[in-house]
Amino acid sequence: MAKRKVGIVSCSGEEIPEGTISRVATRLVLEKLRPEETVTICLPLFLAGGEDERAFAQVFPTITVDGCEKRCAKIGTEKYSGNPTATIVVTDLLGKYPKLNLKSRDELSAEELKFAEEVAEEIAKRVDEALSLESLDKRDEQCRKKEK
Amino acid sequence: MPEEGKVAVVACAGMDKALGSVARDSVFRVVEVLRPDKVELLSLPPLLAGVPSQSGLVRSLPVVIVDGCAERCATKLVVKSGGKVSGRILVPTSAKKYSLTPDSASNVGLNGERLSEMIAEEIASIVDKLTEKK
Repeated sequence: MAKRKVGIVSCSGEEIPEGTISRVATRLVLEKLRPEETVTICLPLFLAGGEDERAFAQVFPTITVDGCEKRCAKIGTEKYSGNPTATIVVTDLLGKYPKLNLKSRDELSAEELKFAEEVAEEIAKRVDEALSLESLDKRDEQCRKKEK
Repeated sequence: MPEEGKVAVVACAGMDKALGSVARDSVFRVVEVLRPDKVELLSLPPLLAGVPSQSGLVRSLPVVIVDGCAERCATKLVVKSGGKVSGRILVPTSAKKYSLTPDSASNVGLNGERLSEMIAEEIASIVDKLTEKK
């Protein structure tokens, strides 16, 4: 049986540094923290009508990672496939680091990279939760079938 | 309100392809270094989410697009949003032209940086032509 995966839909936000944080954090999850459990859903392709991306997001759990309160990734995912399992907004997490002043839209400083790693850890937690909920739901369904 | 006489530039921001990262880097180079007074940065997700500042940009300024792959998502989305496409660059074509291949989506490497520099110069030339006509 194919292993279940979680699709990560990340903001690309070129306008603000938080968009870059979203992008870097998502790549950390895909490549280091949860490489076997996650795939990326390309947001521009998703918005432009990519059938594979939309079909995946309709069937598998998704986590949206937005840079700011505009929540473009969340809005797009809800519009074209369904509610994401979890949503993360980088500006919300920034509240825990009042002294951190994000500046880079392109290359991150050491401090900004550290923050991106924290965001990545949050995403990874949500991935674990999404997969745990899925396996719980499956077990419940199997129990219900047996009872019938 | 977007400033008249400027050009909007937009890149695909494909997360899973190295060439998407190059597209993004090249646009930053133009916006922040090469032609900061002549361009406005357009971002696809807020454009599609209906953010007014982005909708205003795409409808009022000529748009130069940098697509990261043959899907041409940035082109499709700009056209869908009613934008006037005035210049297009396809990064895979540029990569072949300059024989430069980036390392990965997370770290484009020296070749990827060089490629984004070359593409940024192409974008800057297009911007110069478009702003000269005005």
